[in-house]
Amino acid sequence: MTTLKVDSRGTSCPGPITDLIRAYRESSNGDVIELLATDPGVKADTKAWCERTKNELLNITEENDVYKVEIRIVSKRTR
Amino acid sequence: MNDIAIVGGGAGGLILASKLAKEMGDELRNGRISITIFDGSQNHEFQPGYLGVAFRGSRPSRMQRSLTQLIYPGVKLVHENCSVIDIENRYVITEKSVNRYNFDTIVVATGCLTDPGQIPGLSEANHDFHTNASKSAELYERMSRVKSGKIVVGIAGLPYKCPPSPNEGAFMADEFFAKRKMREKVEITFVTPYLRAYPAEPISEVITPMYEDRNIDIVTGFNLDYVDPQKKEILSLEGDSLEYDELILVPPHRTVDVVKKSDFVDKYGWVITDKRDMHIKDYDYAFSIGDNTNIPISKAGVEAHLQAITVASNIIEDYKGGTDKYLFTGRMQCSMETGYHQATFVVGTYERPVEKKFPSTINYVEKKFMERIYWSSLKGGYEWLFRMHFGDDYIQKISQIKPPRQISRPETQK
Ligand SMILES: Cc1cc2nc3c(=O)[nH]c(=O)nc-3n(C[C@H](O)[C@H](O)[C@H](O)COP(=O)(O)OP(=O)(O)OC[C@H]3O[C@@H](n4cnc5c(N)ncnc54)[C@H](O)[C@@H]3O)c2cc1C
Repeated sequence: MTTLKVDSRGTSCPGPITDLIRAYRESSNGDVIELLATDPGVKADTKAWCERTKNELLNITEENDVYKVEIRIVSKRTR
Repeated sequence: MNDIAIVGGGAGGLILASKLAKEMGDELRNGRISITIFDGSQNHEFQPGYLGVAFRGSRPSRMQRSLTQLIYPGVKLVHENCSVIDIENRYVITEKSVNRYNFDTIVVATGCLTDPGQIPGLSEANHDFHTNASKSAELYERMSRVKSGKIVVGIAGLPYKCPPSPNEGAFMADEFFAKRKMREKVEITFVTPYLRAYPAEPISEVITPMYEDRNIDIVTGFNLDYVDPQKKEILSLEGDSLEYDELILVPPHRTVDVVKKSDFVDKYGWVITDKRDMHIKDYDYAFSIGDNTNIPISKAGVEAHLQAITVASNIIEDYKGGTDKYLFTGRMQCSMETGYHQATFVVGTYERPVEKKFPSTINYVEKKFMERIYWSSLKGGYEWLFRMHFGDDYIQKISQIKPPRQISRPETQK
């Protein structure tokens, strides 16, 4: 299991979700993607993204206007 | 002497060279500066025109001009691609030579390429309108042979250039079949890894009802894993599948090899660029503009244009000993043709989120006008119009206070 750190601070929609999608492609089931973003839209977007792709939203925290979203990748089909 | 090297004579590189040559004509003539573009391609292509080639059968040659014709007088063209860009030691090497070309200032403007190889099966099964004009013409040929079936249009992977172009593909495919009076014989589906029809919500709100009206299905959150050309199926990372008869996806893009293998790129191979003054990493003499940068903004010609103006303005200011500094505002303006002579624009800056703009014929006319002046704009033509059109977003000027001049007084006054 790896933690993939993605820094999208300073980018606005669709920056964080674009970065998340790119990191998702590189991830494996069990990995955690840790996404940092300053765009408040990241909360709703990552929630909807996890629902759509059936991955697990572990946590969203906010500190000094920086959102930290942690997502566990669980839905990737094994080929 | 200040030798300025521009690697890549595409939209960004040409506009930059033209502005420098126009405004530093005396220095250029006196040999105090040199401006050299390195680019091995014979022709420059007007990429937005690929849509017309793919969906309306425009001739590919209409989208091309010989590169030599687009070089501003006084600018040198080394008609070869670079195989080495060494920023630290200030030289480039071209593919067919062993000589080093030294520079004082460098601008990297090599654009980006489609990279279907990232997704198994995509190269074999897909026909796109992003690679070049002749591939777009192949797509038109295929479209013209379709009698019925499932057309899947959309996004195969990120990043890609011109964010609205996959949507344009869907709308123009609809128009293509409607005009041939066979729309009811084809199903059109738009697939995207994003959660809505367009990544930015205001534009998505505008176009989603249009998808409904035109009977184009949207499949969101579809992260393409691979294509099975035998079964004619695309499969997502989560295991969802979708059948197709014609596959028209925008492939993920990458930078060119010379950039990708360099030491000034991020982990995905995009040039590490300051989003405001466009300098590369910590270098104050190296800049990157256009599609090859890693800045979080759409990869489009308008951005390449305004970044070129920013960098050229700073080079000129520096050379002339001025203290003003110019910054890129993040202005984007991507046109989205929605078919039937209508278009909208995706407009925003670093500070202002994308605006909600509805398609109109006026926008379409504006888009067509921009197309007409494209070739001239590469040589610095109509710059007054761009300046007027973009207003405060054209460029941001920061006037820096000059250090007070030391005045030496005569001894007696002490
Ligand atoms: C279908 C489609 C529709 C589009 N629609 C729009 C639109 O409506 N509005 C808009 O603003 N933009 C649009 N674009 C995007 C726009 O065309 C590009 O963003 C723009 O051309 C980028 O300019 P650039 O200078 O970064 O790269 P390019 O114009 O691609 O130029 C890169 C240059 O670098 C050269 N090069 C490559 N490798 C080397 C090397 N090793 N050494 C030297 N030179 C090299 C190439 O030969 C090329 O000439 C569209 C693109 C497509 C594909």
